[in-house]
Amino acid sequence: MRYALLVAWREYAESAKAKGFWLSLFLTPCILFLSVQVPVLLEQKATPVRYFVLVDQTASLAPVIEARLVHAHQRQMIDALKDYARKYSVPSPAPPLSELANAGEHVVEVFVAKGGKDFFLAQLRPQLKTNAPAFQEPRMNFQQVSLPVGISPEAGLDDLAEALKPFLRGEKQVLSPSGPVGLSAAILIPRDLTNGIVRPGARAAALPLSGAPRIQYWSVDASDPRLRETVESAVNGEIRRREYQARGMDGAAIRQVEQTYAPLSALNPKKEKGKEAVGVEDMIRQWAPSGFVYLLWLAIFVIIQMLLNNTIEEKSNRIIEVLLSSVTPGELMMGKLLGIAAIGLTMIGVWVLSLFVILGWKSGDASQLASQVLVVVKTSNLVPWFAIYFLFGYVMYAAFILALGSVCNTIKEAQSYMGLLTMIMMIPILTMTFIPKDPNGPLARILSWIPLYTPFIMMNRASADPPLVDLVGTLILLLATTVLALWMCGKVFRRGILRTGQPPKLLELLRWAVRKDR
Amino acid sequence: MSETREIEARHSSDEVALELRHITKYYGDFKAVDDVSFRLPTGSIHGFLGPNGAGKTTTIRMILDIIQPTSGAITVLGHPTALEVRQRIGYLPEEKGLYKKMKTWAVIAYFATLKGLDRASARRRAFELLERFGLRDFAEKPTDALSKGMGQKVQLLASIAHDPEFVILDEPFSGLDPVNQQVMEDIIREMAARQRTVLFSTHVMQHAERLCDRILLVARGRKIFEGTIAEAKGIIPRRVRIETGDDIAPLRDLREVLSLAPVPPRSGEPTGPNAGAWDVELREHADPQSILQECFARKIRLRGFNQTDPSLHDVFVRLVGAEAKEVGFR
Repeated sequence: MRYALLVAWREYAESAKAKGFWLSLFLTPCILFLSVQVPVLLEQKATPVRYFVLVDQTASLAPVIEARLVHAHQRQMIDALKDYARKYSVPSPAPPLSELANAGEHVVEVFVAKGGKDFFLAQLRPQLKTNAPAFQEPRMNFQQVSLPVGISPEAGLDDLAEALKPFLRGEKQVLSPSGPVGLSAAILIPRDLTNGIVRPGARAAALPLSGAPRIQYWSVDASDPRLRETVESAVNGEIRRREYQARGMDGAAIRQVEQTYAPLSALNPKKEKGKEAVGVEDMIRQWAPSGFVYLLWLAIFVIIQMLLNNTIEEKSNRIIEVLLSSVTPGELMMGKLLGIAAIGLTMIGVWVLSLFVILGWKSGDASQLASQVLVVVKTSNLVPWFAIYFLFGYVMYAAFILALGSVCNTIKEAQSYMGLLTMIMMIPILTMTFIPKDPNGPLARILSWIPLYTPFIMMNRASADPPLVDLVGTLILLLATTVLALWMCGKVFRRGILRTGQPPKLLELLRWAVRKDR
Repeated sequence: MSETREIEARHSSDEVALELRHITKYYGDFKAVDDVSFRLPTGSIHGFLGPNGAGKTTTIRMILDIIQPTSGAITVLGHPTALEVRQRIGYLPEEKGLYKKMKTWAVIAYFATLKGLDRASARRRAFELLERFGLRDFAEKPTDALSKGMGQKVQLLASIAHDPEFVILDEPFSGLDPVNQQVMEDIIREMAARQRTVLFSTHVMQHAERLCDRILLVARGRKIFEGTIAEAKGIIPRRVRIETGDDIAPLRDLREVLSLAPVPPRSGEPTGPNAGAWDVELREHADPQSILQECFARKIRLRGFNQTDPSLHDVFVRLVGAEAKEVGFR
């Protein structure tokens, strides 16, 4: 064992010096961090302010659209205020804002009725930390500008569109309060829009012809549908309201009716009594294992590559012969397994630690999701399962890799076999997103019982309370397979490691694995 | 009583560093080593000679217990397997290689720790050896910064860093320049002077001739010869070269002469009555002086009379020439 540990220590120390190790050590937390941070940043900064012109020849719809945009901005304002309070007030969240939490759908109305931003900021002030910066109001994502000089709002829609095209194409700029800017969209509402309204149930002849008046939305930013959707829903809301009135129906009553609903709670019978309600946390609980599967896969894949590389190095450099005059092949194999396992554990340790750190840090900040993920990870058994499946999964795959490395003289020779192994290993990645949807379904259960996939698939099912027979049975099968793989691959390793020349065929390898040594 | 036996046993094992008894090794149907037996006295330098493919490396691997013989028994430093005494054995394999990214001192120290040294002593010893062999400046460099010769030296240092009692060197001279070959010879001699047993394989006969107390010659897996250099040379007849333009064919009838043959002239050398040379092989125990006297008696005009002892090279070619060719073309 002493010799195995010496080998292990060298493997660890040398692999820890490798660039690839440090790269994967830092890259994963970076990706994790970015995946939390980037959406937040994009929301705040990256989406540019879009300028639009609105020509409303009916003179009655523009205020409705404008009101809708203000409404959306007020909602953004509330989120920004909550965020600000969470960051800079004690205790957080500050009570003045908790009123809003109970307002439900009418949150914006309550907010505005109370006095808006200024009221809440004043309420918040006594609770602010001393070092709190001034509140930064979120920008309005869509800002209206007036028509460029020389274009008459009274002109026909076609003429208007022609006149605006150079602006929309970016060839000319429009004037905004902050200077000349590019025009992102033009919304043109024709005078006779009412003639174009589609009314289901009306006779076919009443259906608008292709030339019937309609709202024109001109824009080159096809990828951002928000403004178009806002316009559409605002205008249609107004049209319907008018329609109710025209038919003599009570608009307010109808709105009330539209907001009538029967409450529904999603419940889970496996949960504790009184806490059966299914919430966001449960969604996370269902999906979090997928993240762990990915980590598991990545960790195993990265470190078996390392193992392959340094086994082939020792073999191709003929260092192996000196080693084998000092240690037995068994000790060598064990040492390499342990050394690289330690590398893997270090890597995973850093990853999991950074996961906790990043989530912990972000949870008090922009991302509510992060705090919920943190709670799930802390309270579930995901981490211990992860450790178990990493250990067995790693040893099983490492055994194959050691056997492979022992018969190949160059990485190139190993590649065809590695390709096969990678293909086999792709299955859990491909099924990763399907398993949580039906974690105890036939696909999940069948794959769980294939030892090569057990670690990944069972990890994927970890928070779905798989049947005990699956849990224990697959674990025993995995353990047995791991031991068998070690034993058989050990035999291949002992034979292969001193061999030179072409790597043997797969069948030959199998013969080595099952035949008695010498 | 058992104590006496133990002491006796230790004494006998002390005298013989290595013993092989009827070692045979098959690879599939191919017989790589065929019933080889020999003993290595402690403190001797033993040359292990043979053409390529003779089974030298296979035998060495069996001695080290890297592979097991198909039949036969090996005793190393009194133990049935080298792994039991691995800390007392040093090994330099034929194909040399080092961990490319590791620092030079660290490689030596690592192999020393595998041979039982603790980490601190191994490190100290590595620096000591690098200093002594002029590689101190490379101690902190990765081994891929070393030249081939330096790398080989480092590997030798790695194999002797733990000061082993028994050292096996497989082709230690291959790839070394003459200066470093001399250094290698000095290292081997110095080890033997300290009662270390050295077994080294080579096919450069000059090294064996200069260094060895005894040689073991193998070809096609079989032992051809084992003994001292003098014994080896005794196998083939002594030879004299007579340079004369006269016809000396009648000397063939002398009792001392085994054979006589003209030396074919080399291209570019003058031919004619004054040129010409003959090789005369003598029977065992024959005195070359008597041939010289006979030449004078017969009035043979000599330009030269060279008495040459056979070299180990001659012995090698004589003993394994045919086999080596066969192996070479196999």
